[in-house]
Amino acid sequence: MIRSLDIRDGFTRSLRRIAIVTACVGFLCALMPIEAAAQRRFSRTYPASQNVRLQLLNRTGTVTVEGWNRNEVSISAYLEAPAANIEPQSLSGTIYINLVKDNQGRAEVGSVNFVIRVPFTSSVDIETKMGNLSVTNVRGGLVRAHITTEGDITLTNIGSTAVSAQNGIGDIFFDGTIQPGGNYRFFSINGTISLRIPQSSSFKLVATAPSTRNISLGTFLGENMRYVSDGRRVAGTSGDGTATLSVTNQRGNIQFIRR
Amino acid sequence: MNCEGCQENLSLFLDGELEETQAANIRTHLSLCAECAKLCEDFASILDSCKLEELADEAPALNTNALWCRISNTIEAEIKPEPKLESEPEPRGIFSRVWNLSFSQAAAGVAGIALISSLLTVVGIRNYFQPAADDFTSRSGDTQTTFEKLLSKVGLTDTPNAARQKRLMEQQAAIDYWNQRVQARRAMWDDNLRRGFDRNLQAIDQAVFEYKQTLEQNPEDELSGEMLDSVMNEKMNLLREFSEL
Repeated sequence: MIRSLDIRDGFTRSLRRIAIVTACVGFLCALMPIEAAAQRRFSRTYPASQNVRLQLLNRTGTVTVEGWNRNEVSISAYLEAPAANIEPQSLSGTIYINLVKDNQGRAEVGSVNFVIRVPFTSSVDIETKMGNLSVTNVRGGLVRAHITTEGDITLTNIGSTAVSAQNGIGDIFFDGTIQPGGNYRFFSINGTISLRIPQSSSFKLVATAPSTRNISLGTFLGENMRYVSDGRRVAGTSGDGTATLSVTNQRGNIQFIRR
Repeated sequence: MNCEGCQENLSLFLDGELEETQAANIRTHLSLCAECAKLCEDFASILDSCKLEELADEAPALNTNALWCRISNTIEAEIKPEPKLESEPEPRGIFSRVWNLSFSQAAAGVAGIALISSLLTVVGIRNYFQPAADDFTSRSGDTQTTFEKLLSKVGLTDTPNAARQKRLMEQQAAIDYWNQRVQARRAMWDDNLRRGFDRNLQAIDQAVFEYKQTLEQNPEDELSGEMLDSVMNEKMNLLREFSEL
């Protein structure tokens, strides 16, 4: 009798578990279409010359820019609810996207996540209030990535002569070449700045990390590099020193990696 | 003489063309004959008015002459050098034609110019070897040139600390302005953006606090001054950019 009661209890418990699991799965399945429906997609393609310039000002969201071997600019954006207005403009060799202006006065605007493809030789100037920025395979005249508050900046395979990366809280990673006579600036309030450049690079360096005093030059530490101000700054030259490299991290570390 | 003879010669009499004896006879008749005297007066008044009209016609010619005369006088007066006053003494010395300086004054002037030129040369050479990145607002007293120290001593320029304080006050004023605008708008932001903004502002404020503390301990710390300036600019830019949202 006791045994039959145990079996019945066990069966009831199993049924209850199955019911709970089924309900959870059902709830998640019900949520998924809502999530998918909340995202809108924006897509547009522009014919472009080799030296086209992309100028993007985003509010929040990620931005990924990739260089490709086509004379056109492809813009794809995933808009979270409430969906932002996007009105790109193509004027005299520059493609402008300004989400701050396009959504001025709106109380709430959802994040916009961009994936943009541009010709290899384009200039890229992207800015966002919050969110990660990534630029890959670009060797135009300028690459500028600026995050007003939080977000990581990843610049990979960059061959531009003018590069500027700046954020508030977040890491900056640069992987590219230092062009002779070029100008490179990296600035962060709090995060790690990592620069991966060829050993043969020629530049004049001023690197400052006043809070952590953690500036790791790796194989770039040579006779012409010296630590000043109690190790808070490194100044010197590598090679002929034709390019200018300025790295400032207010409350984080700086590291150089050989490419 | 009778009235007829008098009236025939009256015109010649008035013109003074009669002989004295005839004129005397007419004068005697006129004193006796009221009618001829009246006629003589009428003739005389007609002649007077004619003479006045002739003078009036001639007036423009007279004025033109006078005008040309005045123009000529004015031109002559401008061309002619001012007559020297006899009482003014003749200037002497090497700068006598420009300034009325004695030899000792001129020598002192030359020495002064030489001193200023030397100082400017020294300052120029020293600044040439100074790193170009140095900003006066973020420099310490150690890196001031002698001339700059001298100028700040006499109050002509600010000391680096005073300049830094002045700049900080300006930056703080701008920060206060943008902060007011941000406070008015931040209610419109979503939670995610508001939190991100606050975290970033906190990180900046921590950095500002650290640099100010370091500068209190060592006001001559050049690097902290430079970093404080930089991070204050960042705060200003952060507020300005978010005030647009």
